[in-house]
Amino acid sequence: MTLASAAPVIAIDGLTIGYADRTVVDGADLVVTTGERLALVGPNGAGKSSLLRAITGVLTPRTGAVTVLGERIDRVHRTTLARTIAVVPEVADLPFAMPVAEVVALGRLPHDPPLTGLRPTDIAAVERAMERVGIDHLRHRDVRELSMGERQLVFIAVAVAQSAPILVLDEPTAHLDIRHQVDVMELLVELNRRDGTTVVAVLHDLALAAHFFPRVVMLAGGRIVADGPPAETLGAGRIRDVFGVDPALVRLPVAAP
Amino acid sequence: MAAGTLPRDLETHGLAAWVRARPLVVGIIAGVALLATLVLGVGLGTVRIGPSETIAVILSRTAGIDIGMTWTPATEAIVWDLRLPRVLTAMLIGCGLAVAGTTFQGLLRNPLADPYVLGTASGAAVGAAIAVLLPIQLVLVEFGLLHALAFAGALGSAWLVFRLGGTGGAGGLTRLLLTGYAVGSVLAAMLTMAMYVSGVELRQIFSFLLGGLGGASWIRLLVAAPLIIGASLLIMARGRSLDGMLLGDAAARHLGIDVTRERAILLALASMATAAAVAISGLIGFVGLVVPHVVRLLVGPAAHRVLPLSAIAGAALLSAADLGARLAGDIPVGVVMALLGAPFFLFLLHRTRSGYEL
Amino acid sequence: MLLPDRRRGVVLALLVLAALVSGCTSGAASPSAPSATASPSASADISTPSPTAAPAFPVTVTDDEGTAVEVASEPDAIISLTPATTEILFALGAGDRVVATDDGSDFPEEAVALPDVATFSSVDVEKVVALEPDLVLAGGLGFTPADAITRLRDLDVPVIVVYAPSVDGVYADIELIGAATGTAEAAATLAADMQAEIDAISGAVSSRSPKPRVLYEVGYDSTTGAIFAPAEESFVAEMVTLAGADTITTGDPNTYEISLESLISEDPELIILGTNPFYAPTPDSVAARPGWDALTAVRNGDIRPVRDIEITRPGPRLPLGLRNLASAIWPDVTLPAAG
Repeated sequence: MTLASAAPVIAIDGLTIGYADRTVVDGADLVVTTGERLALVGPNGAGKSSLLRAITGVLTPRTGAVTVLGERIDRVHRTTLARTIAVVPEVADLPFAMPVAEVVALGRLPHDPPLTGLRPTDIAAVERAMERVGIDHLRHRDVRELSMGERQLVFIAVAVAQSAPILVLDEPTAHLDIRHQVDVMELLVELNRRDGTTVVAVLHDLALAAHFFPRVVMLAGGRIVADGPPAETLGAGRIRDVFGVDPALVRLPVAAP
Repeated sequence: MAAGTLPRDLETHGLAAWVRARPLVVGIIAGVALLATLVLGVGLGTVRIGPSETIAVILSRTAGIDIGMTWTPATEAIVWDLRLPRVLTAMLIGCGLAVAGTTFQGLLRNPLADPYVLGTASGAAVGAAIAVLLPIQLVLVEFGLLHALAFAGALGSAWLVFRLGGTGGAGGLTRLLLTGYAVGSVLAAMLTMAMYVSGVELRQIFSFLLGGLGGASWIRLLVAAPLIIGASLLIMARGRSLDGMLLGDAAARHLGIDVTRERAILLALASMATAAAVAISGLIGFVGLVVPHVVRLLVGPAAHRVLPLSAIAGAALLSAADLGARLAGDIPVGVVMALLGAPFFLFLLHRTRSGYEL
Repeated sequence: MLLPDRRRGVVLALLVLAALVSGCTSGAASPSAPSATASPSASADISTPSPTAAPAFPVTVTDDEGTAVEVASEPDAIISLTPATTEILFALGAGDRVVATDDGSDFPEEAVALPDVATFSSVDVEKVVALEPDLVLAGGLGFTPADAITRLRDLDVPVIVVYAPSVDGVYADIELIGAATGTAEAAATLAADMQAEIDAISGAVSSRSPKPRVLYEVGYDSTTGAIFAPAEESFVAEMVTLAGADTITTGDPNTYEISLESLISEDPELIILGTNPFYAPTPDSVAARPGWDALTAVRNGDIRPVRDIEITRPGPRLPLGLRNLASAIWPDVTLPAAG
């Protein structure tokens, strides 16, 4: 079962994350509400991935708390958490040949009973995920024979099949050409609009963030330095300050929603 | 998995796709093969015993049914005390090694892993060698020091590798594999040393290394069976965890799997099955490495299909190979298996080249 | 993950094994025992103490492994799993009761025709059981696979395990087999005759001096240069010593291999080549081995082949073996005639 939906789906309060003597996230506060589409941006080493790992319960913060649907994340059972937050896996090399449909079906692991395997509802969810992501025609192909872009879509489908109200992605467009990048972004928008899925994504490409995400949170040096619509957060001055580049190099559709 | 998600385009995948679409067919074929090896294994041997006599003995011993046949005590001993436990032991060992091999390959995400990947083989062999070299005779209901120390050595080395290698962090699996290799090398060196100083005892160590089912008996079968069958069933019950870990640790964690715990449990269960198998039959190779691949070629890698089918196929293969070995004058069963199995494996690999790569 | 090392180990094992096999002619029950278990007094202990009367059955004997074995009645279907026990059975006049042997049993002639139920490496338990034997004689120290012995005993087949760690052990084994087969009297006579002849031969050469330093070569691996010689305190070493030699051994009761360096420092004055159909080096081939020209025996050409079956097989033909060995070491001594 899924935790009851309440307005703030994820709440981060005074979060500090560190490895040994290095602090990577320093006192971050962030609230994500139901149905939001949020992009995390910032230079390399700003703490985006660490923040994401704290949100998904993989990393225990030094201080501060992460709350998911009103429950402290370390008190949520790992299966319940997996039904609540779906994380798109890194594109992994599979050790054995495996058809796309079976890989996508792994997204049902938090749902299906361990001994009997997939129930009809699980199969329906797998079918729906493949159709949503647009990989229905690849269902019998060995995942290892697919192009990088196709594989990225397969792994997104795994998370979609998880049927969680929150979808988390870390650099989902890293290996993709521009066509596939736009495809993935449009898919996220559609999942968000049609299914009401809350989407939280770490993105490097500021243009994609500005165009497809109504809310952009910028991290720098482990702190949240800006949070709001892209027109506010991705101003020329801030890009120069945070990334140290000439804003003219980054042409942003700052008129976005 | 339901029919809706199974491959159906025969054109692109040929034989493999045809069979993969029908795990049931594979299951039935493997089951029939298993039954055939049971019948042939009990019916054939170096001494000729008629099928009716064989059936009469088995009926009278299992169900107390007398079908009006007579036979000599020697016939009864050969059928009931020699052939039947040996055939069943071969099946048990084949099943255990195939399930353990499937588990290790999946857990370590390494197609070249086999049941002995955690140094189990060298550990068991060193245990057996020590038992042979110790000037102590200790036999307790058909279990000698050799079985006890081989079992302990196998489990001990697996435990040591797991403790030293850990599984946490990036590159954890590689570290585990390398630790297994390093510990295995040390143990192999100890084994070589033990063999070097063993003098006339060398033969016993050597026959353990070759592996074989000549020592099969009801008591050994009944002691090993709960360990191997129990471990195999528990592994099958955790098949979905095994599937999830195919995607890598991080992804499995996000799917709600307690990766550290599940991996430790699965490694322990697979090591247990391996150790029990090794303790009663010595080092039998091939079945644990190749059977999982053959089954994956035929039905894909999902654990809920691969594990049970590997168990059946491993049981059928080893009992068939042991029958061949017996009829050929008790040559090492590993030799028969490699001679029969490897060409078949190569044929499958060749036929399905497009769909399967190691 | 131990393949490379395991393979190396197996190769080594095969080599040593091959050398041991050829050295022992797949014949002798292992010619030595580890010192810890060596018990020269492997005695037959007869539950019905009537040594002069016709032996009564049932009888319980203690075999060379210390196992008490009960033989219910005088056995009339005996299976012998080693060449030495086959020879002993025939020498005791029980040959007509032997129904099967191992494939190495090549003496006497009548034994060759009997069905084979064992090879060097395995026992066909099925065939043994099918013959319904009432006594099985097996070789100790792993000569007969321990599993096969266990299997047979589980099926209530009496199995007597025999191995002689010394020449005295052979006499004891003969009496043990005599007690188990109802031929105790013949066994006592045979053992006494053998002992008398061996003592006589040994007596004729033991007073001679100086004793030559002798290497009795059990085997040689031309690929690795490994040299196999009698282990310390082994049966073969005892035979060479009884033949009046200063015996060169490997210096270790468990090792049959001696390094060329040790051999050169021991410097044999005479090399006896134990030969058999599977292993028959010639004096020339020995002299041609790399490094061997440092040995006195090689420089002087004192290399003599001797048939090793009678020397290494712990059976009734030991006196003949000792005679051949003593003649090879002392060619100009006249040995006492066979008693």
